[in-house]
Amino acid sequence: MSQGEPVKPTIVVDSRGTMCPGPITDLFKAYRNSNIGDVIELLATDPAAKSDTQAWANRSGNQILAIVDERDHIRIQVKIIKKGRPSAQ
Amino acid sequence: MKNNPINIFVVGGGTGGTLAANLLAKHLRSDIRAGRAQVHLISGSDTRHIFQPGYLHVAFGNLDPHEIMREENELVNHEVHLIQKDAARFDLDRKEIVLMSGEKITYDYLIIATGSVADPTIIPGLGEAALNFHTSPEESKKIWNALERFDGGHVVIGVAGVPHKCPPSPNEGAFLLDDYLRKRGVRDKAKITFVTPYPRSYPAEPMSKVVTPLFEKRGIELVTFFNVESVDPVKHEMYSLEGEAISYDLLIMVPPHRGANVVKNSGIGDTDGWIPTDKHTMRISGHDMEYAIGDATNIPVSKTGVTAHLEAIVAVKNILTSLTNQNVQYEYTGRINCPFEMGSGKASFVVGSYEMPVREIQPNKLRYFMKRTFANFYWRTLSGTWDWLLGVYFGETCKKVTTEIGTSEVS
Repeated sequence: MSQGEPVKPTIVVDSRGTMCPGPITDLFKAYRNSNIGDVIELLATDPAAKSDTQAWANRSGNQILAIVDERDHIRIQVKIIKKGRPSAQ
Repeated sequence: MKNNPINIFVVGGGTGGTLAANLLAKHLRSDIRAGRAQVHLISGSDTRHIFQPGYLHVAFGNLDPHEIMREENELVNHEVHLIQKDAARFDLDRKEIVLMSGEKITYDYLIIATGSVADPTIIPGLGEAALNFHTSPEESKKIWNALERFDGGHVVIGVAGVPHKCPPSPNEGAFLLDDYLRKRGVRDKAKITFVTPYPRSYPAEPMSKVVTPLFEKRGIELVTFFNVESVDPVKHEMYSLEGEAISYDLLIMVPPHRGANVVKNSGIGDTDGWIPTDKHTMRISGHDMEYAIGDATNIPVSKTGVTAHLEAIVAVKNILTSLTNQNVQYEYTGRINCPFEMGSGKASFVVGSYEMPVREIQPNKLRYFMKRTFANFYWRTLSGTWDWLLGVYFGETCKKVTTEIGTSEVS
């Protein structure tokens, strides 16, 4: 089931065809190179990408903007609102 | 086969490269002797071939580093022309390899097997603060030396960043560390914390269901979603991108990996230096005569010696069928089979493929025996003469596909 309204992403990560932990690994690589305010769009076919990304966003304090069930893949958008130590931001 | 000798170059003298060169020499022996083909292996100026899974036992079991090293020239078929020099870059459009010496070499077929680089410098402070068992036998030995001096405190062990080769190795390190401290009688004076960027103790959930209860039983604390941002070697603190901090007395972390410099310098890799490769045929994307195997590729399977081995077989078969104009190609199934040591003399395996997700396999002593037997057997597997036996064990690793009609069979 889809949730949220997608926006224009800053970074698109295409992990379609990879199985766990492929999508979350690709998301972490994008997160490392991201800036506060960026929107990372993760495209995945592995259903575990949904729960893994949600759990990571909850833990890290980043915001899930949208999760869209496309015909043959999942589209997840995460807005980066927290990265690194507060003093380092 | 045409009249001029066909020149097949393999670059990289690790598991995949050495096996590929040996298999080519074995299958093309009569053509090589008749001057119709030449097989060359550019293995690099470091003449050592290292059995990298052995780092674990150097670090946590005091294995002599020399036990996991052989000279590359002792492992290569005598029909292979071994070049122990470093490659500087590839020009795939010109079919050219440039050596560090400036010498230019033209090839007909190319297999790139240049591996990955565990690079602590990617994360500020990591190289200064953390020990590791992924960069060299010498670095692995430093862990053993530190453990011998260790008399209590907080040991933090885990994954500093992704990707990294041999996915089970960080967990294996934690289990063997626990074993060692118990054997020394100092386990009660030590706190062990396993740190990982992943959501669970092992990236693939079925195997995390095996690992997590064992961590709990052994008192190994688990910290997930910790992508290391930096380490302060003076304060003995490690920080995550997620905004958390952890302090340590002894830090043992697997550095994030990247592609080899020769790939990055050639502009044929992605931003991290992995070569875009067809995950079935092992051909480099957009090229017919150039292949990439092992850690060097971007394909979505574990970076391990077993996958490099199986991918080498596929690349070699596809070159051989191309040489004889057969309308068939071989396709890698994504089969993985990572040995996974879990302490107390028990081991499991991480088994899966593109079509078969990793499943839960509990550790036992038989699997430990199999893991150690395979380690002893490793050097012989590089010759390619034992692939029939590995085939019996691995089962489906590649499919033979006719390129015109589309029928296929498993080999």
